[in-house]
Amino acid sequence: MSSPTTDYPSSDYKTADYTTADRRITLERIESYLPERSLRIEELGERLGLRRAELGVFRKFYGLDTLRFDPELPLLDLLRPAARSALAALPEGGQVDFLAYAHTTQAVAPADVDIARAVGDDLGLADTEAFGLSHQACVSSLGAIEVLGELLRAEGAEGAYALMVTGEQAYSPIVQHIPNTAIMADASASCLITLDGDGDVVRSFAVRTLGEYAQWLELTPEQNTVFGEQYGSRIAEVIHQAVAEAGLTLDEVDLVIPHNVNKLAWRQTIKELGVAPEKVFLDNVPRFSHTFASDVFVNYTTLRDAGRLVDGAHYLLVSVGLGATFGAMVITHRAAGDA
Amino acid sequence: MKRQEVLLTIEKALGEILERPVDGLTEETALFDELRLDSSSVLGLLMTVEEATGISVDPEELDIDHLRTVRSFADYVEGALREGEGGERS
Repeated sequence: MSSPTTDYPSSDYKTADYTTADRRITLERIESYLPERSLRIEELGERLGLRRAELGVFRKFYGLDTLRFDPELPLLDLLRPAARSALAALPEGGQVDFLAYAHTTQAVAPADVDIARAVGDDLGLADTEAFGLSHQACVSSLGAIEVLGELLRAEGAEGAYALMVTGEQAYSPIVQHIPNTAIMADASASCLITLDGDGDVVRSFAVRTLGEYAQWLELTPEQNTVFGEQYGSRIAEVIHQAVAEAGLTLDEVDLVIPHNVNKLAWRQTIKELGVAPEKVFLDNVPRFSHTFASDVFVNYTTLRDAGRLVDGAHYLLVSVGLGATFGAMVITHRAAGDA
Repeated sequence: MKRQEVLLTIEKALGEILERPVDGLTEETALFDELRLDSSSVLGLLMTVEEATGISVDPEELDIDHLRTVRSFADYVEGALREGEGGERS
């Protein structure tokens, strides 16, 4: 078992050596939740201060259409359904040692409210160690899986479980609109994790943080231009790295399950990877838009519920976070977690 | 739509997108290097011209070479208009 290192401000490729890890992280149950209230992006034009031409760009070139957005829904009500469903897969007598609440926006609640603790208590996990994690923005949910896996290896009781919870709301126009990139939307997701269980096997996780983009939305126009131009190639790099670390080739991966930032960025990445467009699942971009760190799990559940995940096949979960972090995780699906 | 009308439409759209008048535009004017359009604002330009002319841009087929200069963009718009007259542009 290796100990991954974290380098700041810019990290080289960091990958945990999953091929030799003595106990493998397995994803026992993945669930997601979307609020019912659905809007067309044009209905957000006034709130976000977007002109017709800008909305037209989001619709035509970025491929957005509808999204879920319910500012009246309390955050815990957003998080609960997915977390409860994932937790329902906990076997009789199973124990959840750790809970990580992964989020993109640092301030999702007033400073005196600990959402991780509140979720734990809400789920009846009063004895579970709960903490928040947001350093990798929209990659935080994938990063949390690795962190929880490492905690289980290092400190977990034999047969212990961990719960990753993610989800947040586009509560302010500043949070909701990433200029020329995305319109954020509401969703939540959760993943029950253990070591050497029957669920999907995590085979590798490659992540790279480029600290020069740490200013998030305050980048200079020049930085934004370079970031945009290199977006696809940076994603392709972590994808290749994750696939290699998993001991596979890209051809052996059935499908890329991506974040829903926009179709333009993924067209660029598809070109960079030299793969068929169908290799990347983009059907949910026009349906749900970018739901912070929940996208890959929302997309996973869509595919699973449609019967499109094959037992034994390999999939890539890929996301990018402002700041900027690029992450790719290879999993091997096992139908045991579909029940 | 005649060439001159296409050029005027582009000039007007550029003014809207850049939020300033664009004087002295010629067919040789480079959209990115001279007018400082970036990859994002150029999409806004396309949307504005689409709306003004009735053409339909296919994001899958669009090439950056169509957007190098006022001339290449005007050629693209004229081509799209001709296709529109001959049948629907996909």
